[in-house]
Amino acid sequence: MTGYVLRRIVQAAVVLLLVSVIVFVMLHELPGGTARAVLGERATNVAIEQFNKQNGFDQPLPVQYWRWLDQIVHGDLGFSFKQNESVSQLLADRLPKTMLLAGTSVLLALLVSIPLGFVQALRRNRLVDYFLTAMAFVFYSTPAFWLALVLITLFAIQLRLFPAQAPQGSIGQIVAEPGGMVLPVLTIALVSIAFFSRYVRSSTLENLLQDYVRTARAKGASTWRVAFGHVLRNALVPVVTLVGLSLPFVFAGTLISEEIFNYPGMGLLFYNAAVARDYPVLLGVTLVVGAATVVGSLLADICYGLLDPRVRLARR
Amino acid sequence: MSRSDGSVLTVASLRVVIALRHSTVRAVDDVSFTIAPGETVGLVGESGCGKTTIGLALLRLLPAGGRIVSGSVRLGGHELTTLDDEQMRAVRGDRIGIVFQDPLTSLNPTMTIGSQVGEPLRIHRGATARTARDRAAELLELVGLPSPSRQLDRYPHQLSGGMRQRVSLAAALACDPALLIADEPTTALDVTTQDQILELFSRLKREIGMAVLLITHDMGVVAGQADRVLVMYAGKLVEVGATDQVFYRTRHRYTQALLESIPTLTSSRAEALHSIPGQPPDLAHPPPGCRFAPRCAFMTDECRAAQPAMSGSQAHTFACIHPAEARA
Amino acid sequence: MSTAIGLTERDAAVAEAAAEGGLRLAADVFLENKLALAAAVTFAVIALFCFVGPLVYHTDQVHTNISQTTRHPGSAHLLGTDDVGYDELGRLMVGGQTSLEIALGAAAVAVVVGVLWGAIAGFFGGIVDAVMMRVVDAVLAIPALFLLLFLASITTASVGILIAVVGLIAWLVPARLVRGETLSLRTREYVQAVRVMGGGPLRIILRHIVPNTIGTVIVNATFQIADAILVVAALSFLGLGIPPPSANWGGMLSNGLNYSYAGYWWLVYPPGVAIVITVVCFNFIGDALRDAFEVRLRRR
Repeated sequence: MTGYVLRRIVQAAVVLLLVSVIVFVMLHELPGGTARAVLGERATNVAIEQFNKQNGFDQPLPVQYWRWLDQIVHGDLGFSFKQNESVSQLLADRLPKTMLLAGTSVLLALLVSIPLGFVQALRRNRLVDYFLTAMAFVFYSTPAFWLALVLITLFAIQLRLFPAQAPQGSIGQIVAEPGGMVLPVLTIALVSIAFFSRYVRSSTLENLLQDYVRTARAKGASTWRVAFGHVLRNALVPVVTLVGLSLPFVFAGTLISEEIFNYPGMGLLFYNAAVARDYPVLLGVTLVVGAATVVGSLLADICYGLLDPRVRLARR
Repeated sequence: MSRSDGSVLTVASLRVVIALRHSTVRAVDDVSFTIAPGETVGLVGESGCGKTTIGLALLRLLPAGGRIVSGSVRLGGHELTTLDDEQMRAVRGDRIGIVFQDPLTSLNPTMTIGSQVGEPLRIHRGATARTARDRAAELLELVGLPSPSRQLDRYPHQLSGGMRQRVSLAAALACDPALLIADEPTTALDVTTQDQILELFSRLKREIGMAVLLITHDMGVVAGQADRVLVMYAGKLVEVGATDQVFYRTRHRYTQALLESIPTLTSSRAEALHSIPGQPPDLAHPPPGCRFAPRCAFMTDECRAAQPAMSGSQAHTFACIHPAEARA
Repeated sequence: MSTAIGLTERDAAVAEAAAEGGLRLAADVFLENKLALAAAVTFAVIALFCFVGPLVYHTDQVHTNISQTTRHPGSAHLLGTDDVGYDELGRLMVGGQTSLEIALGAAAVAVVVGVLWGAIAGFFGGIVDAVMMRVVDAVLAIPALFLLLFLASITTASVGILIAVVGLIAWLVPARLVRGETLSLRTREYVQAVRVMGGGPLRIILRHIVPNTIGTVIVNATFQIADAILVVAALSFLGLGIPPPSANWGGMLSNGLNYSYAGYWWLVYPPGVAIVITVVCFNFIGDALRDAFEVRLRRR
């Protein structure tokens, strides 16, 4: 197990480094560079040169990268001239809120899709299965923003059950208004449920074909015992990895959900920054989201190692 | 031959079909045999002849599309084919135990050895986890696993192939079944381990004296373990008798061809290996006559006309019109 | 004959048909799947609608017509008009062309780049593989939408740019898949045989490994097409799609949603339903293809 964990950590570290390189390259591909972005379209060349010199943009690339990396590690993610705040500050405020949204959505999705997919596999090709499969396909194929607006129309406007705008303010204030979180969470969760439940279904089906199920039956185990005592555990083990792999997708979902419901998280921050061409913010968020995904995947892989005895107790 | 008194298992005129999309395969066609207490019966034949299907049919664990069409299976006098699901479940693992071919895939990878071996006891005897665990340790010792109590908490992937097969055997024996079915128990193992497992079988036979249906394609395994042999070809039994009768006074031409095709240590290097020409028949549309006829060197028109009936003495029967010479 | 519990009739059919050729077998299983067949037919109809439709139903999709804005569906305009006077039905057809072009183009780019990347990584293994795969991991770690938004904010979208951009994000998954397959194929006897015969790496990769991954790649490509349609729709919604007079379903949908309060359903449902149906079709087809190729793989 230790071998496995160590290898994963090293891989994650390398990937994190590469993510930072990618972000850095993005930083450099900005037309006109940061200088123009900050100083505006009308800036003179002299002003730009001065700006570059002041901020070290005239140094050779590797040096710039190293300095930038150094800054990052010390918590300085740049400064947003448009918002007049340090990027780290903005992120420190927004990151927990997005984590709350993403985390709740994933949790809800898992709680629903695991039993759903499992039952579908056990009742394969019956009416329940077909119906749920059809629903899954439809949800999965609907653009998230349309889904969100349908939810708003139905629940916020017609039924008046939940507000159309997410709660604002600090994380404490947000948690105090759980009703406002329902629709944003549902938007992300519904599509994730569709995706996860298909996966749980096929994982369960695969396990049902395995020889050990036949052995269990040969011992006289009832369908109940086979399903819950044998198959469930085996079918769920790869789901953990799936959650890790779907993190980028979940974050993309938060982007749309936050924009529609005006939820003050990183996604909305990113969107507004994209519209306003606020590059330091864009890069900071990209870096943080990339890092969060890598770390999340790593944690998922470690959980997988803990759950599967073949990994946990491997010879190495 | 089909008297139920005293025998552990009596199979009479069993027919099993497997329904495929466009055809129905007659996998087991009118098979009858008995197994006496303490007896090891070898069911031998090539792949696809239906021997594994018989094993599964006894437990009513046939794959989708498979079903018993007719015939009777009596275990200690009780008819099994007419039991409902719940009743059959009570039989499986309790009165009949089975060991499968592949020890790695037959065991649940995420469940400890101890819980898998003790499981039949929890299902059929209502044993507590504690009791089942203790008994599992005893069973592991019985099957010759070193340090049994330590193995209880290990997982299948941590054991070698031979050890895993012992574990499967222990689980099959947990409730002291009247009959043990061993479906190719050594095929997936290397030769040395095969030997060890067969040794184990012999020892258990001496110590416990249970009835065993040993299904295999390996004549060598049969020769060493079985008291009686059932030779099967294309879904039908072609020769039945005591082991040395079948091996040394072979009557059916198929058995003869099988035995001849086994290379021995003493056969000359220059000799080509004997093999049986041709292929087994399509069991969806079996020929009317003897099923081995198309591949038989002694075949005549009579052979292809109708199924040959079982002839011979009570102790040694065969279904062949032109059998090999009966030697004194 | 396998005797595992849970063996379905379909699997039994596989055993039965195992005598036939591999590709025919896959085709058989695919055609057996009624849903996939229906999906394929539906897509054919949609494609015809988009590409042949405008030849039959002529509308002006270039000039706006302010006197005819937001008309209800009627005899003059079968699906009404949108907020700048374009005929909605005609726009649906033309928008469909763009959406499909981008999706198919992006999928093609993704497949070509992904297959080569994955095959090279898997074939050479070792440090080459490690580095190439870490690059894939890194790009995968950044959510596509973030990358795309960033890219879109520094360029003006056009069909070509969108194809390149979406494709360059989408190649990651086929790369991973092909790499996995290559790793297992590399050890097969026939690959060793070609090496012994003196075949160079390029030959082996192109003539022996890639063709054997076709199944997985095709399945993935179908899903890529589905995803690409949704991604472009999302981009349009976020305001970074292709500017008018060009149309695409995503843009039409998000534009129409602005008017949903006014009850202009014909601006919302046609493009929305078109997106959902097309994406569902590709998902069904991909699912069925996956079953079909799995069958072929198992026979191997």
